[in-house]
Amino acid sequence: MLVKEFGEKGQEILSTKQVVLIGGGGLGSNSANLLVRMGIGSITIIDNDVVDSTNLHRTSLFTEDDVGKSKAMVLQERLQAINSEVHVTGIKRVVIKDNIDALARNASVILDGTDSMQLRFLINDVAIKRDIPWVYAGVYETVGMVMGILPKKAPCLQCISQEIPAQNPEETPVLGSLPATIAAIQCNETIKLLLGKPLAGLIIYDVWKQCFETMDIKRNPDCQACGKAKWSFP
Amino acid sequence: MNITIRVFGRYKTVAGTEFVQLTIPEGNTLRNVVDAFVKKYPTVEKDKKFMMVSKNKTYTSFDTPISEGDEITISPPVVSGG
Repeated sequence: MLVKEFGEKGQEILSTKQVVLIGGGGLGSNSANLLVRMGIGSITIIDNDVVDSTNLHRTSLFTEDDVGKSKAMVLQERLQAINSEVHVTGIKRVVIKDNIDALARNASVILDGTDSMQLRFLINDVAIKRDIPWVYAGVYETVGMVMGILPKKAPCLQCISQEIPAQNPEETPVLGSLPATIAAIQCNETIKLLLGKPLAGLIIYDVWKQCFETMDIKRNPDCQACGKAKWSFP
Repeated sequence: MNITIRVFGRYKTVAGTEFVQLTIPEGNTLRNVVDAFVKKYPTVEKDKKFMMVSKNKTYTSFDTPISEGDEITISPPVVSGG
C-alpha cells in the first residue's frame, strides 16, 4: 500500500479480483504464492497432478512430505495458511475443452501455470470468447517468456504463433531458479492487467545473459483466434 | 533481395549478433526469409515451423509478403514448460 503507484486504491482493487490459475507446478505455485501474499480477492488453482520429487527443485511451497499428494489441494492448504483473507480453492481436475468454460467464466484474469501448449491454446480460445484477460508464461531450460493478453485489444497467443508446437512427451528441463523469476514477472503483468496499466508485450528472459527483451507487438489482424474467431479447439 | 533482420533470444547466440544480414534468392514472403535464416544457421532447423516471425511489429503468417525496408524479426518458438 505504501507503493505510490499502487496505494490503498490498488490494494482495494486487487482484493476484489478473482484469479483462476491453471496448473500448480513450478510457475503456478510460485505465482499463487505471490498473489496470495499480495492480497488478491480469490484464487482457484486447478491441477490434476500429484506432487513428484522431480517438482521440488522449482517450487517453493511443496516439501518432500507432499510427494504423491494433489498439487491443487496442497496449495489450497498452504496458501490459505499464508493469508486467511484470501478465498483459496484447489480443484483436482484435468482442464479440457468441455469444462474450461465453467471453470474460468467468473475469472477476472486467468493465469497460465500449465506445461501444455495445447492447453494454452484452449485457454486462449476461452479467454477471447469470454473476454477474460490472461497471462501466458512458459519456461524451458534457461529461457522464460511472459505475455499479458487482453482479448481483442492486445495480441493473443495465436497472433504470435504459426502452429501449436507439439507437446514434448518427456519432462521439460528447467533450471530450478527460473520458474520463480518468471512467476514474479507473470504476477507483475497480472497486477498491471487488473489495475488497467499498459502491458509490456512479449517478455523474454535469458538466465545466461541476465537480460530481458521486451517486444512491443501489435495484434495480427488475420489472427485465426482473435481476428477471425476460428478456434484451435472448436 | 538483401535484407537485415533482427533476431531474439537464443538466435542471437546462434548468429553471434542481433542483426543478421540475409540474401533472399527468390520470393518475397516471410517464409523466404525464414528459409534463408535456416539455411544460414542450420542448427535452428528444428524450430522452423514454430518460429515467431514479425513484420513491422506484427507477428504474422509465413505467407505475408515483404518489401525492402520492412522491419522483420525472428524469435524462437514460445516456450512450453510450466
